[in-house]
Amino acid sequence: MQQQNKKQILLVGNPNVGKSTLFNALCNKKQKTGNYAGVTVASHSGSYTYKNEEVEVIDLPGSYSIYPSSEDEAIFSKFLLESQKNFAGVVYILEALSLKRGLLLFQQIQDLGVPMILVVNQMDQAERRGINIDIEKFSEALNIKIIQTNAKEQLGIEAIQKAILNNDFAKTEKPSFEIPAEHKDFLDKVSAHKKFDNNYKAWMSLSIGADLNKLDSATELINDPESKSLVPKRLQVQEVVRRYQNIDKILSNVISKKPQFKELLTEKLDKVLVHPILGYIVFIGILLIIFNSVFFLAEYPMNWIDEFFAGLSAFSKEHLPEGPINSLISDGIVPGLGGIIIFAPQIGILLYFLYLLEDSGYMARVIFLMDRFLRPFGLNGKSIVPLVSGTACAIPAVISTRNIENFRERLLTILVTPFMTCSARLPVYSIIIGLIISDKTIFGIQYRALVLLGMYLLGFFVALLSAAILKGFIKNKGKTYLVMDLPTYKKPLFGYDLKMVLGKVWDFITGAGKIIFIVSIIIWCLSYFGPKQNPDQVVATDVHLDHSYLAKMGKAIEPAIAPLGYDWKMGVGILTSFVAREVFVGTMSTLYSLDDDAPEGKVIDKMRMDVKPNGEKVFSFATGISVLLFYAFAMQCVSTIAVVYRETKSWKWTGFQVVMMTGLAYFVSLIAYQILK
Amino acid sequence: MKDNYLQTLSSFPKNKLGKILGYDNNQLRMPNKIIEMGLLPETVFRILYQAPFSGPLYVEFGEEKSRIALRKEEGEFIIVEDWN
Repeated sequence: MQQQNKKQILLVGNPNVGKSTLFNALCNKKQKTGNYAGVTVASHSGSYTYKNEEVEVIDLPGSYSIYPSSEDEAIFSKFLLESQKNFAGVVYILEALSLKRGLLLFQQIQDLGVPMILVVNQMDQAERRGINIDIEKFSEALNIKIIQTNAKEQLGIEAIQKAILNNDFAKTEKPSFEIPAEHKDFLDKVSAHKKFDNNYKAWMSLSIGADLNKLDSATELINDPESKSLVPKRLQVQEVVRRYQNIDKILSNVISKKPQFKELLTEKLDKVLVHPILGYIVFIGILLIIFNSVFFLAEYPMNWIDEFFAGLSAFSKEHLPEGPINSLISDGIVPGLGGIIIFAPQIGILLYFLYLLEDSGYMARVIFLMDRFLRPFGLNGKSIVPLVSGTACAIPAVISTRNIENFRERLLTILVTPFMTCSARLPVYSIIIGLIISDKTIFGIQYRALVLLGMYLLGFFVALLSAAILKGFIKNKGKTYLVMDLPTYKKPLFGYDLKMVLGKVWDFITGAGKIIFIVSIIIWCLSYFGPKQNPDQVVATDVHLDHSYLAKMGKAIEPAIAPLGYDWKMGVGILTSFVAREVFVGTMSTLYSLDDDAPEGKVIDKMRMDVKPNGEKVFSFATGISVLLFYAFAMQCVSTIAVVYRETKSWKWTGFQVVMMTGLAYFVSLIAYQILK
Repeated sequence: MKDNYLQTLSSFPKNKLGKILGYDNNQLRMPNKIIEMGLLPETVFRILYQAPFSGPLYVEFGEEKSRIALRKEEGEFIIVEDWN
């Protein structure tokens, strides 16, 4: 029953027309933040209640046309066509400053027979521009009621909710696009055969070159002698040009311009931001600010978290009854969790910056600036977004490749993005760098910070280099191009983005927390028990770590990892890292906390003091570098592998990526260790 | 002194008003996106910026002064002329 009471509506429009702002204003309280806001690539939904009616709002990715040219647009068109019967209507958003472009998609959807409400957003911007829009005439010409909003100022939001409540969704009887006379007969045939309820759907199925509902009879029709002459692309062009002619006619009666207008903020800003020299300086400056904040701003909350978990561990050790459970909690679970939660501030800060950049419209400028430099590597300017967001997490980064139209460029971007230093590597890098690099400074800059920066650069260069190598092995399907809107700059949604970031950080903590919780317990069990030491035991309990099952397993893989300079403990750490990289730290914390020889003291100090039987340090410089390189290159994250498979739909490429990255990691670490030892 | 050869968007000078005449698109190799984004015949435009090393063009066009980035290769498809 509940389900039926809930009214579903779709939020649709071109990219960058303020859709997210409107979505946020509509569903202020309840949102499912299933997706990354910054890179709105899949639909996400929220809901609100207005006058006792609950409404679910589905925010679709922005698109320019019903004919998809990239994966995200395909998702949009598919959703619109397939779930048409489930929703009450579409709320379509036009930006007052680009009515013309927005009307193309609007009329296409209207012609599909979808009930719609039309919203014109940011009227104030148009006024400042000296553009006057006669809303009454406009409404008449389009045969639909128009609601004016300024989503940023929360103006007109209630009017939309009211219109939805009153079911003001309008359908047009008369399509705005007339099927060209020369195709009419054939189209009627298609329509009758496939039982389309509307002629435009039949037309669309022809100009997409495929069937809309996966009807098996489609091939039959496409093989019709006449249908051969209908090159789908030509039909699309014909339609779009005709629609624009029609739109021009409408707009010429609706828009009047004053002779002079103020320069927009966008024009002023772009003088600097896309400048051939200044533009790059600003971009690098922004990156520096971001990374600086990630490392230095995050230090304070990280210290608080560290102290909190140290305290918690000490507290549980003292107050819980002594025995295995005490050891499991105080030495296993608490340090394991603390080892991860400590990185939440860094991840949060990084994500927040990325969201703000995307929101403001700046990312499009970065794409413009970077396209020329990424092309020699077989990538597209648009690849810069996944590459930069890959420094937070490869998962949303891989998803954000969906707007890259060209198959090879998109695949290459997916294959190399996991080389970027994601935040899960940070815990590993921090601990290893802390172990092997001294805390001295040069010109006031910490050596450790420099090494960390070096690791980030290494990831980036290896990503580019492997793209350049791999591009020779991937067949290029279709043309590569860059045709991209440069949106007006908008004030980022600071509050909304913060909410999204906190949601993401919470997901990270709970997600990683669960894994680490389980891994900690398994590791603890394997290290608490060992093979029986006398015949009447089933298993030995409370054994010395070196006699535990864990040690036995670790030592079994030692021949494979010894050439890289790792002992069995690191081997266990690396193995558990294949669940997620950050688990390494949790595993190490657990393993070293369990060390019976020195039960007290900080984990990192124990790691530093740990020596091999021959007296050498376990974490020597050579070993440390080898571990760093291994984590820089290895594909060690199950979730990323799953996302790559989902996005490429190919086991071949997913498998290739895992083998290539991990093989490279092994090889490079091996060489580094053998040279340095 | 007007030349008769066809000038494309890619070879059009910066900061000068021009008008789109049509497309060089017989093989249908031009991305449809160019048309969808509104770069249509009769549209008045101006190239404002170009990224270094023959990078993409930053074009302002139409009544609404929309902005678009496209590569030189895409510009080759678009035939243009001077506008006043």
